[in-house]
Amino acid sequence: MGRGYNTIAFDAAKCDGCGDCMTACATAKTGTEDKTRSRIQIVGSGDDGFELALCRQCGDPKCVTVCPAAALTKNAESGVIEWDAAKCVDCLLCTIGCAYAGIALDSGTGHVAKCDTCDGAPACVPACPHDALTYITTSRIYNEVGGWEDLFTPGLAGCQGCNTELLMRHTLRRVGPDTVLATPPGCVPGMGSVGFNGTTGTKVPVFHPLLTNTAAMLAGIKRQYKRVGREVNALAIAGDGGASDVGFQSLSGAAERNEQILFMVVDNEGYMNTGMQRSSCTPYGAWTSTTPIGRGSGGMPAQGKTQDAKNLPLIMVNHRCEYVATASTAYMEDFYDKLGKAIEASKRGFAYLHVYSPCTTGWRFPTDQNMEVARKAVETNFVTLWEYTPNEGLRLTRPVDDPMPVTEYLKAMGRFRHLSPDQISHIQGKVVENLAFVKQMIHRSSV
Amino acid sequence: MTTATLETPNQTKPAKQKVILCEGNEAAALGVALARPDMVAVYPITPQSSLVEHVAKLIADGRMDADIVDAEGEHSVLSVLQGAALAGARTYTATCGPGLAFMFEPYFRTSGMRLPIVMSIVTRDGITPQSVWGGHQDAMTVREVGWVQVYCETVQEVLDTTIMAFKIAEHHDVMLPVNVCLDGNYLSYGTSRVELPDQAEVDAFMGVKDVNWHVALDPLRPMAVDPLTGGSGGKGPSTFVRYRKGQCRGMQNSLRVIEEVHEEWAQRFGRRFAPLVEDYRLDGADYAIMTLGSMTGAAKDAIDEARDAGKRVGLIKIKTFSPFPVDALLKSLEKIQALGVVDRSVGFRWNCGPMYQETMGVLYRLGRQVPSMSFIGGLAGADITVGHFHRVIEATEKLLTNPAPTEPAWLNERD
Repeated sequence: MGRGYNTIAFDAAKCDGCGDCMTACATAKTGTEDKTRSRIQIVGSGDDGFELALCRQCGDPKCVTVCPAAALTKNAESGVIEWDAAKCVDCLLCTIGCAYAGIALDSGTGHVAKCDTCDGAPACVPACPHDALTYITTSRIYNEVGGWEDLFTPGLAGCQGCNTELLMRHTLRRVGPDTVLATPPGCVPGMGSVGFNGTTGTKVPVFHPLLTNTAAMLAGIKRQYKRVGREVNALAIAGDGGASDVGFQSLSGAAERNEQILFMVVDNEGYMNTGMQRSSCTPYGAWTSTTPIGRGSGGMPAQGKTQDAKNLPLIMVNHRCEYVATASTAYMEDFYDKLGKAIEASKRGFAYLHVYSPCTTGWRFPTDQNMEVARKAVETNFVTLWEYTPNEGLRLTRPVDDPMPVTEYLKAMGRFRHLSPDQISHIQGKVVENLAFVKQMIHRSSV
Repeated sequence: MTTATLETPNQTKPAKQKVILCEGNEAAALGVALARPDMVAVYPITPQSSLVEHVAKLIADGRMDADIVDAEGEHSVLSVLQGAALAGARTYTATCGPGLAFMFEPYFRTSGMRLPIVMSIVTRDGITPQSVWGGHQDAMTVREVGWVQVYCETVQEVLDTTIMAFKIAEHHDVMLPVNVCLDGNYLSYGTSRVELPDQAEVDAFMGVKDVNWHVALDPLRPMAVDPLTGGSGGKGPSTFVRYRKGQCRGMQNSLRVIEEVHEEWAQRFGRRFAPLVEDYRLDGADYAIMTLGSMTGAAKDAIDEARDAGKRVGLIKIKTFSPFPVDALLKSLEKIQALGVVDRSVGFRWNCGPMYQETMGVLYRLGRQVPSMSFIGGLAGADITVGHFHRVIEATEKLLTNPAPTEPAWLNERD
């Protein structure tokens, strides 16, 4: 398993070229305020903007490759490219090898100098008055999760470009081996989680409940282990159809009884495994195989689903569960934070996670666009990311203050291709209304 | 032993028993408590309700150590128990009528997963016409789903059979769910003298619990439960076939196990019930009537009176309806020349009672012509009285000389 490393990120749109970062670096590294000796350099980009000249701490560092004296090495632990003064022969080949101007001659010492991230607390970052510099820590998830066992077997048969397999693997790694996993009929077992003809796709005990009784079966399992004093996680990875439609009664019943289970819904807005039929989570206007497009009758063309989606996570909030949250496959940090909280909450009572997961096959978009579609759903406020606990109420975890128009999301996929201007304005209106409703609930639950 | 007659108990030592007075629903609840299940899931429905109320009170009073789940419907009731059984729990519930219908999806699956869940059916007629009263239509409708189904005649038999049901279900040669059927209204609310077995003696009878040795959802021995089978060829269909065949073998094994468990019960507790088929005054009979459940008491009274009047009639009672006790019933049918079968439900397809329909198949195996006829009575709580049974006896007697009618006789049509 490779590693991911932290790095200093630069937002050119926020930089005004003030040079405070360079002053801070020079102060920290040379004891002077001589900006020319700073290891971070802000330079004009030629179009009235600014660019960054800084060591990227590359994974495949050219400076290291070209050094004839082995004075440059990559630290496998920190990821930082380290320079060894005792070995350096001052040939400056590294300054030619680097494409980012990340290593340069320090006139004050006569040797090359480069960023060492100040041992993980770079002085330049807090010095920036415009937040143009950030010390990015996304690789924390990559590094941490990479060390955990993948509890699904290799070779699950999801559609090309499907994010659900990624989501499942991440989830089960985090929940761990002391788990009983329920995967009701749908994409999750459809790609082989429970296996075929005597094989299994999972390294923990796994089963097909009925589409209708996932929460009830898990409740029975969890209660029996509790009765005999064993700590076992009861986890469901269910589709939106089995949760919002035919399985809703058992879901609601288990939530009302506050059964100690973690119920995760992977919402791809329809019965995608069965052939892309409409569920009550399918959004208004969407084409599905049971809400097709056609001439219609009586002058009324068939234009996709004619009702708005059921907002299942908000319904679960009204069960006053121990924890309820929405998440998106495009925002894994946010998801991990919520998954951790949901696991803890499920030791006390019912925890519910609703993850929006675009379906490349059923939503009709190219297989390399899954993350993009998931991100646009959030950035247009088509879906909102929030969490709820009984004590702290509802809060948005990733508010989008300046949303893109919903058309940016709709035009990214074929299932909305037929929409009329009236339908689009209905959807845009619902986006505004739904966000207002969530905000109303935030206000109410915080009172 | 394939048939039995009610005779003096031949117990080896006197069992320690307390005599109480209670209704059938309470007797079932007391039997459940004595069997010590880990988990009970309940949802109320008439005429089962007082049964689960008694169970809830036994647990609330600390007289029964079980987890109780007040589920939001029968579908979840059975689903909770499936999960619990897969985690190793001994489990119990009760339902009837529309509740059983709503439960059907997990009900079908319970036998396929070979989960030894015990469920009382406090039998109720099927709706519509709307009715909350007794009848066997609910249990009969699900007779082809792979559950063992036994019917009780008395309140005492309800209590004893409820305990025995757990031992039958969990026998390693069976591993199937068991329905203990008790007639709604007549047994559920009928109050009677009951001998209550001693807990320690029931514990000794039950032995060690071993519920999920064959299939489990347990992180200590991870497995995939119920992976997809099927397909048009290869390993899929053959896996499915072996599963189905195993279920059928378990059903047939249960016939032997039911007899063994009833025999052990008689030895330990001194009460002997016919496990599969009971012959009542069948020796020397030219013809017989056939019954199921609580109606048998009135039928036996009518047989006694008819015998006193010189009629050569006997009675055959079915206790184990699923699997249908073909061999045991053949032995009873060998003794007679004509047969009248009284059902408390209807078989819509054959225009007769379901038990009659099943029996016709056994009569075919007999290899000789036995004129027979279907009687349907006791629907929607109607009483089948001694008077009704005299009419059944008379009509059956006529089969010895006259052609058998093809239509069923409806007993409560005008009373």
